[in-house]
Amino acid sequence: MSLYAQKRFLVIDDQPQARDALRTIAQTIGAFAVEFASNYQDALYRIRNNTPDVILCDYVLGDGRSGQQLLEELRRFNLLPDECIFMMVTGEQSYEQVVSAVELVPDDYIIKPFSPDKLVLRLDRIMAKKEFFKDYYREKRSQEYANALAILEQKQASETGRSYRFEILRQQAEVKLISGDAEGAETAYRAILDNYEFPWARAGVARSLHQQNKLTEARAEIERVVADTPQFFDAADLKANICMAQGEADEAQRVLDEVAKKTPRNYQRKRLLAEAATLNGDADTARSVLADVIANDTMPGAVTPADRLALARSQVDAKDLISAEKTLVGLKESEVQNLDLDAQVSYAALLAISSPGRGKPRFAGLRPALMSAELSAASRLDILRSALTLGDHELADHQAEALLEGEEAKKSFGAMRKHYALHGREMDFRNIQKQVALKRIKHDTPAG
Amino acid sequence: MHTLLDVLASGVHDAKNQLFIAESQIATAEARHGIELGETRYAIEAAASRLSRTLAAYHVLRKGATPAVTPVIVGDLCDEVVLDQKRHLASEGISLTATCSVIDEWPLDRDLVADMLNNAIQNAGRHATYHVHLDARLDDGWLVLSVEDDGPGFTTLPPPYGTGLMVAERLAGLHVRQGRQGSLHLSNTASLGGARFELRLP
Repeated sequence: MSLYAQKRFLVIDDQPQARDALRTIAQTIGAFAVEFASNYQDALYRIRNNTPDVILCDYVLGDGRSGQQLLEELRRFNLLPDECIFMMVTGEQSYEQVVSAVELVPDDYIIKPFSPDKLVLRLDRIMAKKEFFKDYYREKRSQEYANALAILEQKQASETGRSYRFEILRQQAEVKLISGDAEGAETAYRAILDNYEFPWARAGVARSLHQQNKLTEARAEIERVVADTPQFFDAADLKANICMAQGEADEAQRVLDEVAKKTPRNYQRKRLLAEAATLNGDADTARSVLADVIANDTMPGAVTPADRLALARSQVDAKDLISAEKTLVGLKESEVQNLDLDAQVSYAALLAISSPGRGKPRFAGLRPALMSAELSAASRLDILRSALTLGDHELADHQAEALLEGEEAKKSFGAMRKHYALHGREMDFRNIQKQVALKRIKHDTPAG
Repeated sequence: MHTLLDVLASGVHDAKNQLFIAESQIATAEARHGIELGETRYAIEAAASRLSRTLAAYHVLRKGATPAVTPVIVGDLCDEVVLDQKRHLASEGISLTATCSVIDEWPLDRDLVADMLNNAIQNAGRHATYHVHLDARLDDGWLVLSVEDDGPGFTTLPPPYGTGLMVAERLAGLHVRQGRQGSLHLSNTASLGGARFELRLP
């Protein structure tokens, strides 16, 4: 048990008695120091400031939060180093159903009551596993994906590797997906499914297909996952993303709205809901959801200028220009200067509508760049909206053409058509569509 | 919102939390006074698993129940079951041994399968003369988990099913992979001469 004598433990539980019990267990196995966190915020604060070696976290944290949500947030902000052990503690069986389905899992979970011996057994195994994957984690963290994959291949061929065969396949798939090899990732996930129908692997197939822009196939795969494992909320997020890419923002909004009700404090999901609502033309929902995000996502650094731009966008769409102006002017000039080109463009476009005195000159100054630069679909939609409002047909039509030619044409189509209709230019939009279609036919027909 | 399962689960959850607090207090007392209260802790854990099993029975007997399948290192699973049972059996004069020849990670519901094995070992311990043995091996692509004893064997075959065997049979059947379905086999063919409990999982 001396192995844990050097270790710092953090016990996270909202029930004082249960907290004491966990501390006692940690002390019995010789923990060097045991700290407490009684709630979600406190836990985040302690982990950020002084990462413990071992986290024992109760699944139920009260106040609408769960240990699973904490885990997701820690991963999202990169606050959990590979060396840190995250052990979920649960008194009920329902968490097993979550762990068996989702992509993002803790190092392990343990069911109460348990003896100190059992905890040691579980911790020993996690340490052995972390040791086995150590060199791989290092390469993955430094984004040396080719090296990481080579290491995994070696491990796969080793005797010990057989004890981690699913984990190795899973890691291979994940690395391929983040390094842009979506086809390779799909193959790896399918190899897992050949062995067993894990929901997370099926979702991985959908994710890989989505990245390959095979939307119909991706949709079919994710529908299966959502229907079979309703407790797998991230699958609903993925489905919503695929729906949006297919131009079905209404279905995306419906799916997200349903899941967001079950996870009221998951603000990433709410951001996605706002995006779907915006594309769906439901400015009121987008506005209230984003206001909630900005007011209540208390994780330091979580609320970004991008959130404020999204809020301003929804306020412009809702014709609440005074609030939009207030939101935009609330961003400091230095913050605006630090934005990437896409965000700066969106800022200028939205300001041109909500605060013409300040915004129009800025927007006009950017015009030459807007006619030539490669921009994201969201920024192009913002330019299109402003250009239509300001009567700059050439600029608006250029964006519409670029959007219709781009990969996200389906995603932005409904919103584009709505903006053109608002300004009585449906026929012009239809003509642009025709021209783009003709160009594509010419392009696809081999010359000679 | 509140189905019967939610109500039961919440009650079991609270009770197990209380038992956990009791167990940790006993662990403290052991450390502080240098005494050994393993049997007391065992009694608490047995009560908790009895509660869990009742809930599991309700859960798996429902229509459309699904097991929580994750990849599991079979040797680790065996070690854990031995840890749970060995000391108690020893206090009754019965030795528990285990062998595991399965290297590959296997997809199964770790907690429910462990509970079924715990239950089978407890049953075997009640009838064994000296010895209970747990074995894990592969047979033609099946994972075979068996518990044998050197007692008189089942008096009737099949034996009368209590909660444990009922859940074990249903749980085995819920494990489905590559078109194959798990099953439970009870017999008096133990190499130790007594009863044999065998889970075959695909």
